[in-house]
Amino acid sequence: MAEKRKYARKYCKYCEAKIEFMDYKETKMLKHSLSERYKIMPRRLTGNCKRHQEMVELTIKRARAAALIPYVVNTKQIVATPFDLLNQ
Amino acid sequence: MRHYELLTVLKPTLTEEETKAKVNFIREVLEKNGAEIAAFQEMGTRRLAYPIEKLERGYYSVFYFTAPATAILEVERLIRITEEFIRFMSVKYENQKEMKYWNKQVEKFAIEEVPEVKIEETLPEEAPKETTTEDLVADEVVSAEDTMVVENTDEVKTTQE
Repeated sequence: MAEKRKYARKYCKYCEAKIEFMDYKETKMLKHSLSERYKIMPRRLTGNCKRHQEMVELTIKRARAAALIPYVVNTKQIVATPFDLLNQ
Repeated sequence: MRHYELLTVLKPTLTEEETKAKVNFIREVLEKNGAEIAAFQEMGTRRLAYPIEKLERGYYSVFYFTAPATAILEVERLIRITEEFIRFMSVKYENQKEMKYWNKQVEKFAIEEVPEVKIEETLPEEAPKETTTEDLVADEVVSAEDTMVVENTDEVKTTQE
């Protein structure tokens, strides 16, 4: 153990919460896997496991179609707290 | 019969009565096509994540039901025709884990059938009384008619003579 780890080890947050099924109507759970511009974050950055990443992909795409989550965020649309806006 | 969930988004410009009518319209279509509605979740008017048809808000409602596949086809066809629906999303629940969640949601938003049952209980109590009075009245009417008929026949006879 020559060097210490500089940042915390990545782990799957959905495995920790023991989630078996994701509902696209609950956007709070998808927050971990979305970037600031509402892109789906890759597994290498979030640390999600493969099983949960596939579930997240599907539910995010469903939520987008139902207008619960935006497809894209332009420079014009950027708001300080986008999630608070949506939950009004 | 499979387990489904159907989310619909209505225009916010409609009045309360109109939105209720549209929701009931879906319910009727589902039940006509052999669906059993287990639960109904009203999410209310929410802000849309992006404008649809220049609208900023939408009225969300969700149905949980079991139905044959043909019912879904029919409902989706009708929703596409009606202009008031901005969006819809139907999801099929298949494997055990999904079914578990479906049952959980159904328990959460189950349709309250208590008032309907109460009405059914009260009706039979009142019903017999009404029938008895009606029967009596009916009997009287019948007897009166009989006498009238008899009189009429007499009259007919007399005229024939």
